[in-house]
This record gives sequence, structure tokens and C-alpha cells, in this order.
Amino acid sequence: MMFLSLRHLSSRKKQSALILLGIVIGTAAYVAISGMMLGFQDKLMDQLVNNDAHIRISAREDILTAEQLDSFENAKHVFWYTPPSGRKDSAKIDYPIGWFNRLNADPEIVAYSPQVNLNVIFNRGKVSLAGRMIGSDPHRQMRVTNIQSYMLSGKFTDVGSSGNRLIIGKALMNKIGASLSETILISSGKNTPTPFKIVGVFETGIKQIDETTVFSALSDAQNLRGAPSEITDIAIKVYHPFEVDQKVQNWRMGARDKIVSWQEASASILSVFKTQDIVRNSMTISIIVVAGFGIYNILSILVTQKRRDIAIMRSMGFTPKDIMLLFFNQGLLLGVLGGFIGLALGYLLCLLIGNIEVEAGRATSSSNRMIVSYDYLIYVKAWFIALFSSVASALWPSRQAAKLEPMDIIREGG
Amino acid sequence: MIRALHLTKRFSPTGPAVIDDLSVEIFDGNFISLVGRSGSGKSTLLYLISSLDRKYEGEVFYDQSEITHMPMQELHNLRNRQMGFVFQFHYLINELTALENILLPARKAGLLKEKESTAHELLKTVGLDEKAHRLPNQLSGGEQQRVAIARALIMQPKYLFADEPTGNLDTHNGDAVMNLFARFNQDHKTTIVYVTHDREFAKRASRQIELVDGKIVSDEAH
Ligand SMILES: Nc1ncnc2c1ncn2[C@@H]1O[C@H](COP(=O)(O)OP(=O)(O)O)[C@@H](O)[C@H]1O
Ligand SMILES: [Mg+2]
Repeated sequence: MMFLSLRHLSSRKKQSALILLGIVIGTAAYVAISGMMLGFQDKLMDQLVNNDAHIRISAREDILTAEQLDSFENAKHVFWYTPPSGRKDSAKIDYPIGWFNRLNADPEIVAYSPQVNLNVIFNRGKVSLAGRMIGSDPHRQMRVTNIQSYMLSGKFTDVGSSGNRLIIGKALMNKIGASLSETILISSGKNTPTPFKIVGVFETGIKQIDETTVFSALSDAQNLRGAPSEITDIAIKVYHPFEVDQKVQNWRMGARDKIVSWQEASASILSVFKTQDIVRNSMTISIIVVAGFGIYNILSILVTQKRRDIAIMRSMGFTPKDIMLLFFNQGLLLGVLGGFIGLALGYLLCLLIGNIEVEAGRATSSSNRMIVSYDYLIYVKAWFIALFSSVASALWPSRQAAKLEPMDIIREGG
Repeated sequence: MIRALHLTKRFSPTGPAVIDDLSVEIFDGNFISLVGRSGSGKSTLLYLISSLDRKYEGEVFYDQSEITHMPMQELHNLRNRQMGFVFQFHYLINELTALENILLPARKAGLLKEKESTAHELLKTVGLDEKAHRLPNQLSGGEQQRVAIARALIMQPKYLFADEPTGNLDTHNGDAVMNLFARFNQDHKTTIVYVTHDREFAKRASRQIELVDGKIVSDEAH
């Protein structure tokens, strides 16, 4: 039946081309837009999952109230002129060994890294800037995040285990006007500024990190904080980052410390992903509807126009199934061909988009190009959407054609 | 052989019997014209005995098989291999050339290659070998009807059924069609049943059946 289906299509070139165009554009648009959105999402997701810990345990920041101080002896006899209030200064993880034991015993944990996170002031000459210092054992830290892959110069392990060396975000370094091997002063607000030597530079592409953060050895950060042996955070990497929810729930029971999964930390961005997916999917649905309706319409009209053909063919021994295929093939052909061309066009669009130079940001590659996903699943999906919409919409008119009784048609035409 | 026994056809359960308790035997090689006034039931009878209309009371046998009891696949094969139809309106497929139209039943049978030379012979027989690659809308009415006849004969069917094949043609073209029928009946022993309301054309058959109100009133051979 393919032969006659093809003839039908080719004898209505304009109509067929128009429908084909609809499917091509729909498929290509789906591929290009998905490529762009998913490229962005993949990159961002990779950053969300891997740039920081999958789970972060951190000291709870208590707000001090006057009532909390009433618990000690003779409290009744103490009266404040100005009651103490505000954030407790020295938030720390109270019993880190407990956590370490627990983490060591958990087979789901890839690695963990005890940290001191503290707010600091960077000083160089007349410039002073606020920022954040993360003190950690570099070998442990490297097993938890992919910071090493963002190093522009130096190695992450160069901070050593002590000796006041640091790795600095590139934007931060530029802001304070320092350069590699230079020494800058850092204070935590309490003690006199301590000199740290810059031994490495990183750039994650995330502004908030690159502009504010330095990494140092754990002991150096502890000393700067004035509390050796205390830690404020534990960064944890797990084998299955998408299944941390249950674990986090379990840990929270009975724990005083704050426990946050990467998903919770980046909930706002993840919700943007959801919105993007909704946009993408509703676009897909409208494409299905438009292309499908076109095919449905054309085939329905064709079936009506070809009633006599159907009758004479049935009298020649063509079966209802043959008749169905005669029309169904046309939808199928348009879907397959339109899908193919659409995929190719979509791929070309992706290549073009991937060449667009944009300002450095989260969705760009290291060469500042738009990141485009070439995930084969996009193409498989697009292909199936094209095919499904054309097949589904061809089915109904084709089946109607198959049901026609030759006798009825011959009588009305005779 | 086709045998109709007590054939009755009503278009609605309470309506009149358009074919009324009719029995007839059509022997292999018969050349039959069905005549009668307009509305006497000629077309209805033709479709009943040619398997296109399978809603009736009574029985229609092809050799030993009753039409309504035949498996569908067998019926499709019967139509494809053993029957040819010619209608008053030729029903050519507009997208196909004359040759392709003629070869359509062969295509269904999977005998496209095998039937190609037959198709060319038929085109010559109907006088259209020059116009094999023309589309239907590039042919005159008479030419289209001859293509339709060639198409009905491509599988060298045992039976040829025609409903007013000359109805839309002038006398000259009508004669040509009748000559073709006579020739095929003689050369290939094709059983032919055709409906006509034209007395002259009716006489070309070797057996003439006349209908009045769905009943056979005369059945003469000469
Ligand atoms: N589809 C139909 N529904 C109802 N009555 C019909 C139908 N087709 C034919 N008839 C009636 O059956 C009778 C015979 O019709 P037909 O076989 O076409 O006559 P003929 O071919 O001899 O002119 C006519 O009275 C006609 O009105
Ligand atoms: Mg009639």
C-alpha cells in the first residue's frame, strides 16, 4: 500500500509539505529548546550536586535570650542592665566524634570532610573585603567536592596541613588586587590579622563563590577562629546524591546540629528547573496538538474524497486492512520523515546555539559558550513525539476508511 | 458456476422486496445481459450475485461455497483473482496512470512483474497502448471506461460483472465496449454478466435475463 500512499502524498505536494514543515519545526524546536534548557540544567545540576557537599552538617546558630541564662545557680539574683542577645558567637559542632563514628560506619558515604567555616576580612594595602574562609584537610575536601577541577593555578593540596597557605577565588583575588604567591592579611574579627600566602587560584564559574571564598588548612582556620580542635561543619559526599532525603530525615532525629541536603540548599534553583520542564512539556504538547490536528484534518478530508477509490479497491480484493494502511501510512510517513528532518535541523540549531558567545556565568562552558545538551534521550523523545502524534492522529481517519462498506459507496455514486 | 437460491433483498426490514425470491444459475462461460426498467432491481441483483452486497435472505453459491459463510480472506482472494468489475462511472484512481490503474489488482496479488506484459497486451486490445502513461484526467470518458475494463480483466478473471458499462458512452464507444466483452467471452471463456437498459446492447449477449419488480420474467438464450 506504500506505493499508493506515496502517490497520494506526492499528488498533494503543497499540503504534504505544509504538514511536514509543521512536524519538522515542532521536532526541531523541541530538540533545540531541550538542548538549551537541559544543557543549562545539567551544568547547573552538576554544580549543585558536586560543588558542595551532598549533605552538610553544621553548627546550629543559636539566638541567645535572657531566659536561657536563667538556668545557672543564683540566677534569681542576677539582673541585666541590658540583657545579652543576638547570635551566639562560637557556634560549633558539639560532639563531632559521634558524627565521625556514624559516618565511618555508613556504607553509603563516599567521604566526609570536617571543616571550619568562618566569616573573615581580607586586607591588602588599603583594600579590605569581607568573605568566607573554609578550612579543611585538603585530601578529605577533594574527595567530597570537585574543587580540584576548578583550579586555575596551583594544586588544591598545596594548602598543606598547616602553614597559613590559601587557595583563593579568582574574582576575589582580582578584587583585592593580589596575585599568586603574594601574602594577604586575614582577620576573623577578634584577633590581629594573620598573614596568609596565596598558593593557588580557582574559578567555579559561580560568582558568589569565586568572589568571596578562600580555602585553607583546617588547623590554620581553627587557629584564626581562636578555637583549635573545634569544627563548625562536616561536608559529606554520598554514593547516591539523589537518594539523600531519607538519610537526612533519619539523622535529624535526635540531632542538635543543622543538617541540610544539597537539594534543600538549592531548592530555589531546583524549582526553576521544574518551571522550565513545565514550559518545555507544554510546548511539546502544543506541537503535538498542532501537527496531529493537521494530519487528522488532511486525512479525514482525503478519506472523504477517496470514497470511490476505496470502493473500487475493495471490489478488487483489497482488504479493510489494506485500506487502513493506505491512509495510515501517509501519517506515519509524514511523522517519520518530519521527525528525521526535525532531528537533523534541531541538531544544527544546537550546534549554532553552542557557538553563541555569552558572558561568563553558570550556564556557560569554560570557553564562555552556551552549554547545550546533546543527550541522546532528547532526540529519542523528540522522535517519539513526532511519531506518536502523527500515528495517533492518522489512526482515527484510517480506521474510518477501513470501516467503509464498498456497497454503500457504489450505490450512492451509481 | 454461480447459483442464487430464493434470493430476497430488502433495504429495510419492513420495506419492499427489491429482489423477490429469485433463483438463477449462471454457468461458466455465460454471456448474460440483465435488462429491465429503471428501478426493476438489475443493479441490486448484480451486486448480490457478485459478492459485493452480502446482506440478503437466501443463498448465493460460488461453486460449492456460500458467500456469507466464506472466510473473509477467501472472499478477498476470490474478488482479487476471479472477479472483475466495471461500473457505470469508471472509478479510476486519479493519482495513477492508465497502466498503473490496470496493474492495481496485480499489485494486490503480488504479481506486478508477471502481469506487466498482460497489461500492455490489454492496453493494445482496448486501443490505448499509446496512452499507457497518461493520468485519467488526460483521457476521454470512453478511454477511461476502456482502461477500467482492462483493469477488470488483468487477472484473467473467471467472472466479469458490469453495471451499465456503456451508460455514459456514445454509441460508438458503447459498441467498442461490447466488442471487447464479446471477444473476451469467446477467447477466454470469461463469464460475463452486464446490466444495461439499452435493448440493442442487450442483444449482444448470448443470454438475456429480464427483471420486473425484482423477479425474473424472461430468461432467453440464443
Ligand atoms: N440503498 C437503497 N436503499 C433503499 N432502496 C434502494 C437502495 N438502492 C436501491 N433501492 C431501490 O431498489 C430498487 C431497485 O434498484 P436498482 O437495483 O438500482 O434498480 P436498477 O438498477 O434496475 O435501476 C429501486 O426501487 C430503488 O429505489
Ligand atoms: Mg442500476
